[in-house]
Amino acid sequence: MQTMDTLENLIVKHPFLSELNPHFYHFFNDCALHRRYEPGQEIFHEHGNAEHFYLIHSGKVALETFVPGRSRVTIQTLGPGEALGWSWLFPPHQWHFSASATEPTELIEFDAASLRDKVEENRDFGNELVTRVARILLERLQGTREQLIDVYRMRP
Amino acid sequence: MNDSLESAVVSHPFFRDMKPEHQEFIARCATEATFKREDILFREGEPASKFYLIQSGRIALEAHEPGDETVLVRNLGAGDVLGWSWLFPPFIWHFQARALEPSTAIVLNGAHLLVAAERNPGFGYDLMKRVAQVLVQRLQTTRKQLLRQQIESIMEG
Repeated sequence: MQTMDTLENLIVKHPFLSELNPHFYHFFNDCALHRRYEPGQEIFHEHGNAEHFYLIHSGKVALETFVPGRSRVTIQTLGPGEALGWSWLFPPHQWHFSASATEPTELIEFDAASLRDKVEENRDFGNELVTRVARILLERLQGTREQLIDVYRMRP
Repeated sequence: MNDSLESAVVSHPFFRDMKPEHQEFIARCATEATFKREDILFREGEPASKFYLIQSGRIALEAHEPGDETVLVRNLGAGDVLGWSWLFPPFIWHFQARALEPSTAIVLNGAHLLVAAERNPGFGYDLMKRVAQVLVQRLQTTRKQLLRQQIESIMEG
């Protein structure tokens, strides 16, 4: 038997928000929606307006780009507990890549305009959110650089 | 701190248009450094405590290989920032940085920046947003670079 979690529960339990100041949860709860995607379904599209931030609850998401002559190429695969989408945070607020579900996937979707307003209004919250974002970005940058170094190593 | 260093800090592209009260936090922990060709700014695995704003010259960010070989991660020059490992635990450099030519940089004390960010969330937000913006650009560039390399490998293979 499966336990149905409320949206607020999913938010509280998500690793991206672990040990968040309890006063800040409502900023997320107020602009969240529970979304389900089927395998192959697109979540956002390269160059489209970045209007959402996502936390992955279950399933698998492929971050993709379109290479001329090769159609879609997967850049990275993300799974439960990970965060998805940063382009909403900075002008021009356009997606740099595309994202699609590769399995039945459940996401928590946040309205980016609402989050952007809140980080500007409440600097404690803003500081907390962008620090968490920077931390994940650095981990991913280091991970991608390691991958690139491995490719260089394998080539003469 | 002297006026010329202060104006150098605030005119660096990374801190462009920062509020004067926030500039003060930066200026208070800034020093200037010059590097000769082949000087090592930091080594992989060493404790990370400094944030570099490059003013002139060229710095290579490299991964150290067994057998004393290095693999270039990227080159950085005037207007670029260097070094993120002071931001988050374990506070250990992930790569090595080496001067490829005579270079100058403003060096900021990372611990000081972190304390200032915690005590003053307005400053913390401003600093971290700038950090995140550069990280996002570098991540996007690195992903595209990786993709190109992987595609070339497939074509060659």
